[in-house]
Amino acid sequence: MSNLPDIILSNKSKIKFAMSLCARCSMCAPSCFLYRANNGDPTYMPSYKMLNSIGLIFKKKGNLSDNDLENIKNIVWEKCVLCTRCYCSLGIDIPYLISLARDFCRQKGVYKTYDN
Amino acid sequence: MIKVKRKKFDEIIDCIDRYNNILNVGCGGCASVCLGGGQKEVGILNEELRLYYEKKGEKKDIDAYTVERACNEKCFLDLPNVIEKGNYDAIITMCCSAGTQLIAEKFNKIPVYPAVDTIAIGIDRDIGLYEEKCRACGHCVIGYTGGICPITRCAKSLFNGPCGGTNKGMCEVNPNIPCAWYEIYNRLKEQNRLEDIKKIHPPVDWKNQIQRTVVQYGYEERYVNMDV
Ligand code: SF4
Ligand code: SF4
Ligand code: SF4
Ligand code: SF4
Repeated sequence: MSNLPDIILSNKSKIKFAMSLCARCSMCAPSCFLYRANNGDPTYMPSYKMLNSIGLIFKKKGNLSDNDLENIKNIVWEKCVLCTRCYCSLGIDIPYLISLARDFCRQKGVYKTYDN
Repeated sequence: MIKVKRKKFDEIIDCIDRYNNILNVGCGGCASVCLGGGQKEVGILNEELRLYYEKKGEKKDIDAYTVERACNEKCFLDLPNVIEKGNYDAIITMCCSAGTQLIAEKFNKIPVYPAVDTIAIGIDRDIGLYEEKCRACGHCVIGYTGGICPITRCAKSLFNGPCGGTNKGMCEVNPNIPCAWYEIYNRLKEQNRLEDIKKIHPPVDWKNQIQRTVVQYGYEERYVNMDV
């Protein structure tokens, strides 16, 4: 059963488009300052972050375990600051898709609080 | 980053008392980082409001939604939808006043009230402890003043050296506050560039200040038709 919120459903075609179009070409990687600052750690690649956050949420139709949510939280807050500067040559709006994953987590009460 | 601090409870009540169906909007950017108005703080305020009105025997619906950045419409995410569905009589915001103004502009049929004060552009000394460093004067002089902002740090925001009240390193306005110009002098001296203190800077023309727009280098062509 699908447990996807309206905002994700209304962006369904965008997400599907991104998931099928992303060729893991890694062209987006150098446009992310965090990827560069972390010596090219592939888990900082914008495409990796997108596919393993909103991509996973979409694939699992919103039915995520607590562990999944924690992993996504780590990706979308610790590995991305949503500076919106990454660039995909195929036109995928990666930051927007990552922000959808953040919103999904927030609605589940999972988010970064900065107080520790 | 920008530092915000929650307003006094009474002031928030004064703003929202006449409404029954309210949305509290938090911000996932600076307001979250400074622990002033992120999702957690929105939740805390809403809980306090709920208890307050419950005690008074009044029924109010106060919802919460946190955007990723209130200063960028692209980061509003579901906010337009939430507002449309919620049919709110008022919105309170816990982002900075810039974000609040964007929300007020975009949803201009609904009264918008900030529940926080935007205090400073500042730095983090510790968790929950911040210090103002800049007042965005628009013409930074700290290259000449040893990396110490005279606008923020000097009680009179003096540009060209200390006033006559500087007293053994302390400011005449408050003997517990270091004199900014004393610190500037010492730092420049340590760096062996005291000549910088002699470079005179014209006073800032504070009158007739108009709203600034920033067009970054390289983007002039793109916004050429904008009257900025
Ligand atoms: S939005 Fe995130 S992924 Fe894109 S460049 Fe910024 S930090 Fe990197
Ligand atoms: S709205 Fe204000 S507090 Fe929120 S990210 Fe923008 S500048 Fe920071
Ligand atoms: S002079 Fe001070 S207030 Fe002006 S831009 Fe520099 S740090 Fe900010
Ligand atoms: S004593 Fe120093 S800090 Fe105080 S007003 Fe005068 S110059 Fe500014």
